[in-house]
Amino acid sequence: MDEFQEILQDFLVESFELIEQLDQDLVELENTPEDLELLNRIFRVAHTIKGASSFLNFDVLTRLTHHMEDVLNRARKAEIILTPDIMDVVLTSIDMMKAKLYFIRDNGTDEGSEDIEEIVAKLDAVSDGKPVDEVSVPETPKEEPAAAAEPEPEPVASESEEDVDYSDMSENEIEDEIERLLKMRQEEDKARRAAKIAAGEAVPEAPQIVDEEKDEPKPAPEPAKEEPKAPEPKQESAPAPKPAPTPKPTPAAAPKKEASKAPAKAPAAGGGGGASVEQTIRVDVRRLDHLMNLIGELVLGKNRLIKINDDVEERYEGEEFLEELNQVVSIVSLVTTDLQIAVMKTRMLPIGKVFNKFPRMIRDLSRELGKKIELEISGEDTELDKSIVEEIGDPLVHIIRNSCDHGIEGIEDRVAKGKSETGTIGLKAYNEGNHIVIEITDDGKGLNADTLKDIAISKNVINEKEADNMGDKEAFTLIFRPGFSTAKTVTNVSGRGVGMDVVKTNIEKLNGIIDIDSEIDKYTKIKLKIPLTLAIIQALLVGVQEEYYAIPLASVLETVRISTDEIYTVENRSVMRLRDEVLPLVHLADIFEVDRVFDGSEHTYVVVLGLAESKIGVIVDTLVGQEEIVIKSMGEYLKGMDGIAGATIRGDGGVTLIVDVAALMQMAKDIKARPAIGQGVGGGAAKAKTKPSDYVVMLVDDSKTDRSIMRSALTPLGVTLVEATDGVDALNILKAGEHQFDAMLIDIEMPRMDGYSLAAEIKKYNRYKNLPLIAVTSRTTKADRMRGVEVGMVEYITKPYSPEYLMNVVKRNINLTMEA
Amino acid sequence: MSDKIKNIIDKQQQQQNDPEVTDIDDVMQLVGFVVGDEEYTVPILTIQEIIKPIEYTRVPQTPDYVLGVFNLRGSVIPLIDLRLKFGLEPAKQNDETRYIVMKSGDEVAGFVIDRLTEAIRLKKSNIDPAPETASGEKSVIDGVGKQEDRILTILKVDTLLDRDF
Repeated sequence: MDEFQEILQDFLVESFELIEQLDQDLVELENTPEDLELLNRIFRVAHTIKGASSFLNFDVLTRLTHHMEDVLNRARKAEIILTPDIMDVVLTSIDMMKAKLYFIRDNGTDEGSEDIEEIVAKLDAVSDGKPVDEVSVPETPKEEPAAAAEPEPEPVASESEEDVDYSDMSENEIEDEIERLLKMRQEEDKARRAAKIAAGEAVPEAPQIVDEEKDEPKPAPEPAKEEPKAPEPKQESAPAPKPAPTPKPTPAAAPKKEASKAPAKAPAAGGGGGASVEQTIRVDVRRLDHLMNLIGELVLGKNRLIKINDDVEERYEGEEFLEELNQVVSIVSLVTTDLQIAVMKTRMLPIGKVFNKFPRMIRDLSRELGKKIELEISGEDTELDKSIVEEIGDPLVHIIRNSCDHGIEGIEDRVAKGKSETGTIGLKAYNEGNHIVIEITDDGKGLNADTLKDIAISKNVINEKEADNMGDKEAFTLIFRPGFSTAKTVTNVSGRGVGMDVVKTNIEKLNGIIDIDSEIDKYTKIKLKIPLTLAIIQALLVGVQEEYYAIPLASVLETVRISTDEIYTVENRSVMRLRDEVLPLVHLADIFEVDRVFDGSEHTYVVVLGLAESKIGVIVDTLVGQEEIVIKSMGEYLKGMDGIAGATIRGDGGVTLIVDVAALMQMAKDIKARPAIGQGVGGGAAKAKTKPSDYVVMLVDDSKTDRSIMRSALTPLGVTLVEATDGVDALNILKAGEHQFDAMLIDIEMPRMDGYSLAAEIKKYNRYKNLPLIAVTSRTTKADRMRGVEVGMVEYITKPYSPEYLMNVVKRNINLTMEA
Repeated sequence: MSDKIKNIIDKQQQQQNDPEVTDIDDVMQLVGFVVGDEEYTVPILTIQEIIKPIEYTRVPQTPDYVLGVFNLRGSVIPLIDLRLKFGLEPAKQNDETRYIVMKSGDEVAGFVIDRLTEAIRLKKSNIDPAPETASGEKSVIDGVGKQEDRILTILKVDTLLDRDF
């Protein structure tokens, strides 16, 4: 049983690989029907699958591939010529074969899957040289001499065993039965192995393939090993009355799970079934993922080491050991970086894996649409991370379908426009820094910005005002809006207004950027720019007040420093002018509910973010720098928080949150310009006060004597006192945020910044609106008092005062805050 | 399924349920701690570790009792203030404050408590289910333990680790 599952697993992995190659070869074959080399290769693929499936008792599949093989064999011997009609039949049968393989993967057997008689009949007709459409379906499907000719150990035996009725047997009888079945299995296996060897010799036409099969390193770390084995529990529960249909060579449940992993593994194996045999070893993807995680930890460790090294350097400048430390640190960081790249490479797959399916798709589409379309692929060797390869397929399918349907014109139209009959779609991949760029171009009718706007208005995707403000490029991006379609009628191929929305969503998921360019009647070019890997990324670290956030560098287009005057408000939203564009702005503090304690600065930084087709400027307080970060999940508890993609651990061991750019853009839409900030619930802003020393009062006076007097007056209260020597000093202490002040005693006449200015400054900050400011001064005129009230002081104590009086005022005021 | 298998399974279950056989498991080990004025306990096996307070990073868009996340030897773990979670006044952290890192399955979170008390061994027979008023799906109280002159509230770690926002 184990062996069977392992073989089945191998069979599926291998078959899927072979088929992928097959599709491409066949389309190529259509263009060069005389290419014997190619034909031979295709023949061998069909033959290999047939051989393997017959060992595994997949009768239906065997029959199908056998007939396919017949056709190809005749073509190989130049007895028939492959016309497009014959190709259609062959391609359909390959699709059928794929369907069968999927069916086997999911069900462990090919019995009961789709009927193949019709296609078999067509294949027969083709190989007999009859025209395709004269074919009728023969009535008796079962006994086919061709299939029987293949080495098939005992295709029917399993069927009969199933019918044995176990329910009436006693325990002993069951034991015997199990014994018998096991023995039978072993013999079966033996026979099968023998048959396999025999087949290797009996098929002289395709010795290479058989060799390849044998030479291929057996995938030792097969997931099958880790799965609970189906037969084991059966043996343990032997005394139980019904050992179920275990001994049947096609177990239904067990292979299902394992087989479903096959396609995931298949692409990792790197084009094993191709023309040239690569030196490859199959590794479970989970092992690579684990390796990647470990490297992630290492990168964090490296970052930390570098930070410590910097600190040490500062502190022990000129010491001898520093040089040594420096060397070690740089070696470690160099090796870590190399290691990271090396591991990343193990996960890299050529994008050709995805591109491979398009020649076939274009062929089918062009026949369906009655257009002549040629596909030009370049850069298929460009590599990118496996997880991205898996995600990129769908968007590309949608874009290419769109190009075929809407882009490329019909033959007459093209001729009328003076273009060549055949339209060309270009698919090109190349590296650009840390990104891979995929360009899809077609030389069709191009996009008309005005028409797009009109359609968008008629479909209520945008309103007229928005349309007026749109540039051409923005108008092109309309095609990515959900519900938008330029097609007048919904066809099989496209027109539902869904596809391009899928493109956008998927590319956003990959932190990619979409760029469209087009000229009417000349071309449309869609450019997808995607980061190479997802696990370890470059990020821009920005600061908002006291908090730091990491923005994936892949989404950062540029950073600019602007003066606050350059921020305009349009329809309640902040915008700025960036060269010839109007860029919507949002403050990161508003997105993440950071209390804006101090922002008096005239200049501010704007990080321009681009994702898929949209752009936004994010205002931040500081730019910290660029750093390599490892994305860590925040666990189930905090998963999927709006605007947060995850967290990372910084060099200092602290946690920094990673901004989810797509979500941020969504959130930005709901944020009005400079909203009135409510009293935010800052981290630890309000802590319960249980004893007097929890209350903090600041004493601001330039005279030490005065401060001492205040201190001695307030000491009996037991509150914590913090002293400041003037307005500037006081403001700094306040901003430092070390203490949460409950009241401030402020002298009016002070150097640098006087009490009035200080009070005015403090009251600028929302956070301190309710902080009681108490003037303590020798200025006694009414005008002075008035001024104090104007700037927001709640009490006005004139010097000299009695200690009790001061104490009572302070007590009253801090109690007052508690109630509020 | 046939009767024979059923018989065997039944027998096995009977063994498991038999109180005499499971005598060793009769005692529950709990760790007690104080939040506000009350003493709570959690089963010792749900505790991954107990650490002294370290720095944490605020996470936006969360209720106030979620203080943020902190770095526990390379893992990013949420930090929840039990005072706030239980609707008590916030308090300043002091020398006795601890983070209890609890886990249930794959879920892990740190909880801020005022101070630890002790490890307690309690007979299962001395544990009553949560009072009617405090039971139900959402309740964080798993049961009430009686020990001499005091009553211990046993918290349901699963519920504590459930995200309820």
